[in-house]
Amino acid sequence: MSERDKSDKEHHEKEEPFYAGQTRILEMVAANDPLPEVLTNLVLLMEAQAEGMLCSILVLSADGMRVRHGAAPSLPEAYVKAVNGARIGPRNGSCGTAMYLKRPVVVTDVLADPLWADYRHLAEICGLRACWSTPIFSPQGDVLGSFAMYRQEQRGPNAEERRLTQIATHIAGIAIERQRVQETLRERDARINLAAESADLAFWVIYPEQNSAWMSDKGRKIYGFDSKLPLTRDLICGRVHADERSAVHAAFDRACASHTTFESEHRLVLPYGKTRWVIVRGRCLEDEYGHLLELIGVTIDVSAQKQSDLQLQIQREEMSHLNRVALMGEMTASVAHELNQPLTAIANNAAAARRFLERGKINPVLLQQLLQDMVADSQRAGEVIRGIRSLVQKDKNVARSVLNLNAVIADTLRLVSSDVLMRESVATTEMDHSLPQVEAAPVQIQQVLLNLIMNALDAVEALPPAERRIIISTRSLNGESAEVSVRDFGAGLPTDRPDKVFDHFFSTKQTGMGMGLTIVRSIIETHGGKISAENAPDGGARFSFHLPAARRDSKSQAA
Amino acid sequence: MNSSGESDASEICLVDDDLSVLRSMEYLLASDGLAVRAFNKPEEFLAHAAAHPVSVVVTDIWMEGVTGLEVLARMCALSPRPRVIVITARDDLAARATAMQIGPVAFFIKPFDDEKFLAAVHDALSQAKSTT
Repeated sequence: MSERDKSDKEHHEKEEPFYAGQTRILEMVAANDPLPEVLTNLVLLMEAQAEGMLCSILVLSADGMRVRHGAAPSLPEAYVKAVNGARIGPRNGSCGTAMYLKRPVVVTDVLADPLWADYRHLAEICGLRACWSTPIFSPQGDVLGSFAMYRQEQRGPNAEERRLTQIATHIAGIAIERQRVQETLRERDARINLAAESADLAFWVIYPEQNSAWMSDKGRKIYGFDSKLPLTRDLICGRVHADERSAVHAAFDRACASHTTFESEHRLVLPYGKTRWVIVRGRCLEDEYGHLLELIGVTIDVSAQKQSDLQLQIQREEMSHLNRVALMGEMTASVAHELNQPLTAIANNAAAARRFLERGKINPVLLQQLLQDMVADSQRAGEVIRGIRSLVQKDKNVARSVLNLNAVIADTLRLVSSDVLMRESVATTEMDHSLPQVEAAPVQIQQVLLNLIMNALDAVEALPPAERRIIISTRSLNGESAEVSVRDFGAGLPTDRPDKVFDHFFSTKQTGMGMGLTIVRSIIETHGGKISAENAPDGGARFSFHLPAARRDSKSQAA
Repeated sequence: MNSSGESDASEICLVDDDLSVLRSMEYLLASDGLAVRAFNKPEEFLAHAAAHPVSVVVTDIWMEGVTGLEVLARMCALSPRPRVIVITARDDLAARATAMQIGPVAFFIKPFDDEKFLAAVHDALSQAKSTT
């Protein structure tokens, strides 16, 4: 073996563990091991490469003004303590100066060099003589810290020591930079969390590939999950109320398939049956190849708001129901008449049949006719009762269907015809036969019409019978909406603000509760329509409402 | 029921705008052996009465078209004056008092007792006969 081969072999034997050591340290960096541990291992690795060499790493503070202890496992503790927190500057030892000047600073004799004026005494006690410090840079060229080599003899670095320094500063740069990024992320997380918690927002992330999920503490509280429980998409979706689960699943799947956003308002059912209303917004994140990576989102608990909305709705429904009952009370003449007519016919037919039988002159064809009439009239009476019940019933009056308002008006006028007659009034119609159909709840529209018609009848009551007229007309507004007007020839509305009549408890009538028109307006508005009141130029009041035309794809139903 | 087209002073004229009530009244009167002429509209009856003597008329009031009390007044003003029996589906005391002032001989609220109603019709018929 030649001298040269021998030295190569020695070099290899020495280099292999050194490479292994570097790899181990980089693995620690990748595993996010604590920075002091990483840097200490790096220093120890470097010190092992040369006899009699001590090393240290200092980290520049976030404000870039001071040095902080990084790693110095072999330096005396008193020395480390003294250096920690020192300012950087043009004459601040090897390290402080190197960081300040952003270039290596080689001090061959700390006892003589002016840069060490402040640390000379300490260095002397610790037996340090030479100190060569090199700045550690981030990839962007910012100073992150410094790596220093100390010797007990007075000299400068040789080529091998310069090579080691280059390796050490490179690895330390990666480690410190990585830790800074992690810290920034942690800070951002903390800030987002703080913002979310104060806005009552819950964060979550669903990883569809891994069938796993993460949720902020607030989220676990909203969804009722223990803080330790590992989460999955199915667990989270399992909290959704059974009635809404399939819709939520569908919206979720749609968002995942199209990599878009997702929004849903639904109920959650927690263990022990507690229910919450939440609004959920989510968004898909893709990797750089366009694959779905995760779904991130927020959940807002809106239970309190929903509760008050619900209460308001119940109150509104109660009022509306009261109004219908009150209307029914006003329509007693019509109701009695509508029922008495078929009942009279039945009673007459039955009495006639009995008499024919008593007289023994029964013609089977005649008897059959009488019975058939009785059946028909019973059905007619049943229809009347069904109509009244649907008006007075509390629920089930909100289901919408496609209606022809002309037909609803005709039905409603038939219902009140007796009252119109008894009040010696005349109701006429002017129907637009091109009126577009609308999508509405039939009972509610009937309620609107009844309120307007009964009001109009009241308005003309004081007039001589010949002048007691009301006109109900319809008009198509460009085929986009259907307008209905009910006008009377009475005294008219308050002139200052005709629409005041829609306010709560506004009534010009002795017996009125002052809520009919308020309910009328709320019904029209929930149907996406508008109602207005005005005085007609030739006297009397006119109430007009319009409803948007039904969409073409809506299913038609005979009104 | 009248099908001859011939007018008979002893036939009962019946006026009601509700077709099923009108028919049942025809049956009821026929079951008691009475002759009936039915009118669906008061105008038709008044036109008939202008040309033929009517001894008894059974009529609903507040029928559509013409104000009910006005019709009643015109019926009572016919000459010779018919006996008018009012049947109505509306139980309204004030209206009843007003109607009775015009001159009907009987007032029934639908639905009514068939015996009492037929008795009133027979009474009216015999009164009409005794006065002619």
